[in-house]
Amino acid sequence: MALYNFKKIMVVPTAKDFIDLTLSKTQRKTPTVIHKHYQIHRIRHFYMRKIKFTQQNYHDRLSQILTDFPKLDDIHPFYADLMNVLYDKDHYKLALGQINIAKNLIDNVAKDYVRLMKYGDSLYRCKQLKRAALGRMCTILKRQKQSLEYLEQVRQHLSRLPTIDPNTRTLLLCGYPNVGKSSFINKVTRADVEVQPYAFTTKSLFVGHMDYRYLRWQVVDTPGILDHPLEERNTIEMQAITALAHLRAAVLYVMDVSEQCGHTLSQQLELFNNIRPLFANKPLIVMANKCDVRKISELSEENQACDRLLAHRVDTKMKTKKVHDVLNRLHLAVPTKRDQKNRPPFIPEGALLRRKAMETNAPKRKLERDLEVELGDDYTLDLQKYWDLMNPEEKQDKIPEIWEGHNIADYIDPEIMKRLEDLEQEEELRAKAGEYDSEEESEDEEMKEIRQLASQIREKRKLKVLASKEKDTQGSRMPRTAKKVERATLEKEMADLGLDMTDKDDSHYARRSRSLVRKRKREVSAPPTSRTRSQSASRPPRDQSGVRDAKMLKKVKTMMKNSQKDMNKQGRKGESDRHVFDVKPKHLFAGKRKSGSTSRR
Amino acid sequence: MRIEKCYFCSAPVYPGHGMMFVRNDCKVFRFCRSKCHKNFKKKRNPRKTRWTKAFRKSAGKELTLDNSLEFEKRRNIPVKYNRELWSKTVEAMKKVESIKNKRQARFILNRLKSGKELEKAAAISEVKKNIHLIRAPHAGQAKQLEDKMVQKLAEDVEMDE
Repeated sequence: MALYNFKKIMVVPTAKDFIDLTLSKTQRKTPTVIHKHYQIHRIRHFYMRKIKFTQQNYHDRLSQILTDFPKLDDIHPFYADLMNVLYDKDHYKLALGQINIAKNLIDNVAKDYVRLMKYGDSLYRCKQLKRAALGRMCTILKRQKQSLEYLEQVRQHLSRLPTIDPNTRTLLLCGYPNVGKSSFINKVTRADVEVQPYAFTTKSLFVGHMDYRYLRWQVVDTPGILDHPLEERNTIEMQAITALAHLRAAVLYVMDVSEQCGHTLSQQLELFNNIRPLFANKPLIVMANKCDVRKISELSEENQACDRLLAHRVDTKMKTKKVHDVLNRLHLAVPTKRDQKNRPPFIPEGALLRRKAMETNAPKRKLERDLEVELGDDYTLDLQKYWDLMNPEEKQDKIPEIWEGHNIADYIDPEIMKRLEDLEQEEELRAKAGEYDSEEESEDEEMKEIRQLASQIREKRKLKVLASKEKDTQGSRMPRTAKKVERATLEKEMADLGLDMTDKDDSHYARRSRSLVRKRKREVSAPPTSRTRSQSASRPPRDQSGVRDAKMLKKVKTMMKNSQKDMNKQGRKGESDRHVFDVKPKHLFAGKRKSGSTSRR
Repeated sequence: MRIEKCYFCSAPVYPGHGMMFVRNDCKVFRFCRSKCHKNFKKKRNPRKTRWTKAFRKSAGKELTLDNSLEFEKRRNIPVKYNRELWSKTVEAMKKVESIKNKRQARFILNRLKSGKELEKAAAISEVKKNIHLIRAPHAGQAKQLEDKMVQKLAEDVEMDE
């Protein structure tokens, strides 16, 4: 069908774009490297190729345009006429003719210059020839700018035309502007044509499709026609006329009974008579529209008119010749009866009842809406009254859902009471078995004392830790004897530990030492008994002071020896002994094996 | 209206609280607060996050298998309303709740009992090792010695007589 090609027409480029396109293509697709020391036939061939390539491209594209655009003589007369109305047949043909001429001219140019190239004897000459050829081809195309623009516009408009199949079942709506043709098509089909109160809302043809008796029908909406002679009609009206003239369809002439369109009935009748010759050989129906606004006694309701319309339409269709062809081939097959049993079609009870109910058309039950209207402001939507419960008097209950963070719905169980009983029995048994008895911690005196001592010890330790944290680690370390020990603190500490510290005046720490002794020396000339010396003699040696018994002494000695073991192994006296006796012993650094990594020496 | 459980910490999510996340496989995750939501987004496993109920149950710190816990179960088929059943259920719920709490408390108490033994042993060892911090080893010895000496003297005197 010719109408499908309208969407497949290739884009027509503008002259400038066309030229740019082709030239850049030539540059990309042909070899570019040439030197003047090449052999002359090679140079000539190089440039000839470029000319021919450009010519080929132009030729191809222009031919494609020429073939894509429909020839007005080859397509259905409806489309030919429509295109004539929209685009002007002469202009169209002229544009295409110009394109054709341009194509031929380009071919000639290329041929000439290729012939001339044979006489080019240097790279420069050949290059100039090629420049000239390409330049001329591009100039030819520049002159076609107007045609190309026009053809592009035609192509765009053409692709947007509605796809009206001129050979299928069609209904055509015509009449004055604003009578209701577009509203009718909107109602009857799924088309969405703009409906506005001003005239000439519809400016072009629109198509809608509908189903009737299992067949697809096209409904064509036209712009309104005014009553003046054919020559004075504008493009929009001419579209309608074209459609009327060429489409083999049932024509629906729409009249506005209420005269809302702005034209009286007599005017509309005038128009009808004027375009009557167009209706030759077509089934015609006069449609009286807008009857709801103004009733005429002999005319019926709108929807009844539709039905009548449909009936009429089918009759008219039956009258056309096409149907007869089909009828010859149709044959209804009916199965033969095998016995006398009557087998009517089965319709279920419910369907029959419903059909009857539909027919009687009486309201069956009181609707919620009726109730709402009745009660007015007091109305609340109470869906609980429709519930189907075992005890209908519980319908208005407020159902509890949550208790103390638990969902009641999670506990609902028909056997819950039984399970609860079992659980309670189990609980009783457990209680009897003594599971829930709180054990009295009967601790004896000893344990209590131990606990008390333990807590005291922990407290003491914590205090010690705190005291050690407070000491000054950054400052210089003083020996233990630098700080003088107060007699009172010593006695208090020892008393806390449980020792008896009363009358210790004679003890070694309470007696005044040398300084006091020295003072007395001047007064009495008794020889000093050098108590300090005897004191130092009586003072236990450092490795025995603080050691309680032989066992502890032994342990102390072992500890000392243990810590010295590591140092002895390394041959050092202690931590600070870093002296190396022989840094580079000769036997390791001399001889054949002096350097390198040998794992044994 | 339902009180849901938080996916991460198993806390109750009241209506109007928390966040719900629906994954592409149509699994729904509810969170009680952004803490749980953020942890979930960090792909943390609730069974390994110590403060969640899931961890406590999987680590055996709380009662898991018990009859009283079987009462609360999400049922997918709703039961038609029946006033009697509902009122009985509410009463049963209260009783079950009390029993459940008792049992849970008892479980935790039993778990903590062994700690008491350890405490005792720790106290005893502490005292043994570190008694010297509060009591000098020969604290009462001086007095004892004196008493002995006094006794001995008294004996000597007797002998002399």
